[in-house]
Amino acid sequence: MSSRWADSEADAAEAKRRKKEKEEKKRLKLQKQQAEQEAAVRAAQQAESRPSKRRRLSNDDEEEEGKNGPSSKENESQRKLLRFEAGSWAPCRHTSNFETLNHIEEGSYGWVSRAKDITTGQVVALKKIKMDTHHQDGFPITAMREIAILQRARHTNIVSLHEILTGSASDEVVLVMEFLEHDLKTLQEDMPEPFLASETKTLLRQLTSALSFLHSNFILHRDLKTSNILLSNRGHLKIADFGMARYIPPPHAPPPTQLVVTLWYRAPELLLGTETYSTEIDMWSLGCIFGELLLKSPLLQGKNEVDELALIFALCGVPTDKTWPGFWRLPNSKSLKIPRDPSSSSLKTSSQIRSKFPSLTTEGVSLLSSLLSLNPDRRPSADEVLRHPYFSEAPKPKPMELFPTFPSKAGQERRRRAVSPNAPKRGEAPGMGDVDFSGLFGEGEGVKGSGFQLRVV
Amino acid sequence: MQQPSPLANPLATVAQLRETGSQIDNIPRDLEDSVRFAGAQLTQAAGILLRLPQEVIAQAIIVFARFWLGPEGGSLAEFGARQVSAASIYLTTKLSAYPKSPRSIVNVYAYLDSIPFPSFETDVLRTENKAEEYYVSEGTYQTRKLDLFETEQRILKVLGFQLQVSLPYALCITYLQALDVFSHPRASELAKRATAHLNTALLSPQLMYLTHQPPSLATAAIYLAAKETGIKLPDVEWWEVFDTDREELGFLVVALLSVESFAKEEQKVWQGKKVPMTVEAVEAELKRRHASQD
Ligand SMILES: Nc1ncnc2c1ncn2[C@@H]1O[C@H](COP(=O)(O)OP(=O)(O)OP(=O)(O)O)[C@@H](O)[C@H]1O
Ligand SMILES: [Mg+2]
Repeated sequence: MSSRWADSEADAAEAKRRKKEKEEKKRLKLQKQQAEQEAAVRAAQQAESRPSKRRRLSNDDEEEEGKNGPSSKENESQRKLLRFEAGSWAPCRHTSNFETLNHIEEGSYGWVSRAKDITTGQVVALKKIKMDTHHQDGFPITAMREIAILQRARHTNIVSLHEILTGSASDEVVLVMEFLEHDLKTLQEDMPEPFLASETKTLLRQLTSALSFLHSNFILHRDLKTSNILLSNRGHLKIADFGMARYIPPPHAPPPTQLVVTLWYRAPELLLGTETYSTEIDMWSLGCIFGELLLKSPLLQGKNEVDELALIFALCGVPTDKTWPGFWRLPNSKSLKIPRDPSSSSLKTSSQIRSKFPSLTTEGVSLLSSLLSLNPDRRPSADEVLRHPYFSEAPKPKPMELFPTFPSKAGQERRRRAVSPNAPKRGEAPGMGDVDFSGLFGEGEGVKGSGFQLRVV
Repeated sequence: MQQPSPLANPLATVAQLRETGSQIDNIPRDLEDSVRFAGAQLTQAAGILLRLPQEVIAQAIIVFARFWLGPEGGSLAEFGARQVSAASIYLTTKLSAYPKSPRSIVNVYAYLDSIPFPSFETDVLRTENKAEEYYVSEGTYQTRKLDLFETEQRILKVLGFQLQVSLPYALCITYLQALDVFSHPRASELAKRATAHLNTALLSPQLMYLTHQPPSLATAAIYLAAKETGIKLPDVEWWEVFDTDREELGFLVVALLSVESFAKEEQKVWQGKKVPMTVEAVEAELKRRHASQD
């Protein structure tokens, strides 16, 4: 045996070697984390394989990954390697494994009901997918997309998809989702008073976190509205209905359909026939929903495309070269007959949001106005919304646990068919080009055109 | 509950690996392996003819492979590998940025059926692409299209709509970057080889993509490529950084190496014959085997 000296020398050398090794591994790990984040982004893009228009990586997401990743729990001696979990696959179970409790809603796309898993007793929501009987392209791509996107979009504020069932008929396909007691539309209709400011804040924040997650994963929802937003009896909000969702199209891909988003939540650029749109259309809808939560009724209830646009301009002002330089290049803008210099006319170019929401704080007005910017480039991203001072000023967002509970219509009885414009139908010809906007501002300048003046409040 | 990583794949369960639908129907295991191997190659070849990016082809091959696993999986007594391969491609491209019409898929598979198998030299396919000029009769097209749609639904059902696939290709390149090899003069050779190994792994009779996660596949491909090119990687257990332990790495490297010998063996076994890619051909092959036993 060697002397104590030699021993500790060897120890020291060994320690030094280990330290070096550790450092080297640490360096590699760091690089690898970066690599993985890039790869994750690429994987998301790979879903429709192409670079996205917006190459944005949410910081929140990076932090999330960091938490689960090896670096924060780093423990060299244990050498615990990260295990990826993504489950397995199994054939679709038959619908007879579930017992229907009551119908919830008959949407334009499917039927939703509350049901119980017979073996586990778990209460779930079932959404039956409507299938065209004569499909030219096999299994409907819209349904495949809804399923594929929901499978990937796992987030605390997005409804979770448990499994897919098939029935005896070959084309019966049913989504099994977690059941939530309310949707925001039906709930608000039954509430005597609007949500409190603190509650609105909590709802808006949850909604925006979901949007931030979706957008950083290159997913557009394209049909945000209160009936597609669910709320549990514990104040937990989740986005549902991914029937219109898509991955962000690549720059040079054929333009996706413009026929998206239910009219009252549809961004002005869509109404004006833009061929390229992105996450900003969801941000517009978010603005409409924010307004709706404050008013307890939909903010911009247009009767048709022209009327919707008139209502938008009445609330937000008409666009000018300064506020929206790209406006005149949009296909339908020419037919509007808005003077290039509206200041010479009696048209209002300023926003009326302040006066429409007298009890909203200055920060609240600032946030709502930015979401309802006519110019899509001026709308904040979901991440920017989350950092807005509105969320930190008083009153503080109300903790979810303190949310009042309401009787659940979905839980008890068949719901009445609600009146609200239907979502755009799938498969309808895209394009709004044939909408005639020419009546909007009448013949001369000014506001004597149809619908416009009447609705200015 | 931990969110599933976007880099992770759903993997086959032990039960799914133990018994397949074909085995329940008494299809010999070696025949099933042969057909699955040929089916993966057929899918790769069709993907090339359809000018699909390798990522989309890889996804189709993985969907194809998933379909046959487990007692509730598809059986060769009920489904031909050709129809499942075609439907896997159809399904995968539909969700991708490269949708293909039933017409072009039917044509490409008819063309591939007309050339002697196995001779899917990928370079040859790329250069001598005659699939475009290949047509089937309207009647044949209508039957094949219906078949395509029906098989598509069956795949969706058997997989429980689990089409999600994450691939190791991009990961492999970023790992190479992390390992700092791109300053090496022969770095591109290393990267090329590693990618080639990932393609090979798609054909693996050991179903590497169905049993191992992308980070481990990328790591094994890099390890083997570095050994072959003699490019030195950091003198530490760098694979652990990429979430792969020594045991898994060893297993995957051996699995990668064995694909080639398996391919050679297959070539010998099927010399001058076609691997049975339809239900009828499988039946005929079984009859032939019984007859030669008597
Ligand atoms: N997971 C769920 N839990 C409880 N209720 C739900 C759930 N999912 C949907 N609902 C209810 O069913 C309604 C319709 O659902 P969904 O929006 O997904 O279907 P849809 O057919 O696409 O609707 P539409 O086309 O009308 O927008 C929702 O507004 C909501 O009231
Ligand atoms: Mg809906």
